[in-house]
Amino acid sequence: MLSTAAILAAALASTGLSGKEVLPFIADDYPKALALARAEGKPIFLETWAPW
Amino acid sequence: MRAFVFTDKALGRQAGRFVWLSINTEKRENAAVLAKYPIQASPTLFVIDPAAEKVVLKYVGGATVPQLQRILDDGARAAGHGRDGRKSDELLAKADAFYAAGQNKEAAEAYRAALKGMARSSPSYARAVESALFALSSSRQHETCAAVAKDAFEHLKSSPSAANVAGSGLDCALALDKTVPSRAALVSDLARDVSEVLRGPRTGLAVDDVSALYQTFAEERDAAGDAAGKTKILEEWAAYLEVEAAKGKTPEARAAFDAHRITAYLALGQPERGIPMLEASERDFPDDYNPPARLALAYRGMKKYDEALAASDRALARAYGPRKLVILNVRADIHDKKGDAAAARKVREEALAWAEALPKEQVSERQIAALKKQLEPPK
Repeated sequence: MLSTAAILAAALASTGLSGKEVLPFIADDYPKALALARAEGKPIFLETWAPW
Repeated sequence: MRAFVFTDKALGRQAGRFVWLSINTEKRENAAVLAKYPIQASPTLFVIDPAAEKVVLKYVGGATVPQLQRILDDGARAAGHGRDGRKSDELLAKADAFYAAGQNKEAAEAYRAALKGMARSSPSYARAVESALFALSSSRQHETCAAVAKDAFEHLKSSPSAANVAGSGLDCALALDKTVPSRAALVSDLARDVSEVLRGPRTGLAVDDVSALYQTFAEERDAAGDAAGKTKILEEWAAYLEVEAAKGKTPEARAAFDAHRITAYLALGQPERGIPMLEASERDFPDDYNPPARLALAYRGMKKYDEALAASDRALARAYGPRKLVILNVRADIHDKKGDAAAARKVREEALAWAEALPKEQVSERQIAALKKQLEPPK
């Protein structure tokens, strides 16, 4: 949502990980992801998120 | 997205196409990544060409599975890894590049140019509209934002983007100064669109988006001075979220709507309605600061200030990063409401010290200035 982004910043919820991800996410390690992407010749998909 | 989208097996076919990285923006050690890839809202999704560490596609906000599939396909193509033979639309690529660089004013203009020549049936049309709306809203071009939303809604009303387009457009229309001649018609037209989405089958819409739509609709009723209508919308909003939460098969899925629900309950003046779910969430996620932080909000709303402070204590023991500022602000306000100005001031001093020690990517100068202002002696 647009101008409610700030309000929803407080509202958009996600409480932790479910541990069943279909996509093999690397958590909080940009150098590792960058090295892997360069080695495999793939783009990086980056999800920035906040725990609230 | 983390509770529902990334777990969807339909995304399995995408797994080998990218290297997948998630960054918790609240962690201090991630400030360097944020310096490289700045964000304005959470979540923000990026596709990055690793050779030059260049963003080739950015998407702001949550996405449903079909929306994410489109983002991934467009992103792979922009990174030179397309596999459907389709070429990137040059005008769209130009707009995406401005948007990725955070140049919202230029991006807005480029998206409008791209949309003019784009078939409404193009697979990238919805994404281009949503990005245009965010860029327009962020660059405070609210009248154009509302007009673009109004036009696009006709074409997207049956798509997963319907809620975001109608809601974003209404947000923009409501943000217009009351002296703007087009405001009344834009608000009225977009409120009708919002109502159409909420009264419709809502197929394929993300719960987050529908929830945000109720919030916007309640704000519209409030701005119109319709107290009874506003309460009716808030009641529907709370009931909708309760039904969706009850469908959750895991504690994560049930708790995913806690933030929306407490917002709705507080708006209704019924904070006590949130206590059982928040107590359950605190039991299910004992390391998470969110449930006790929300309990502090609920108890403050109920004027039970000692319970609010106890919940705030538990939240602060688990909190880290920029979110701690929000929790401290609420705590200072609870002390004020108890009539303890000295304790409130001490908490605000603590908040300022915390803010000043955060990496600059995680706190704005505006936030620090606001905290300082609160500590100035009254004039």
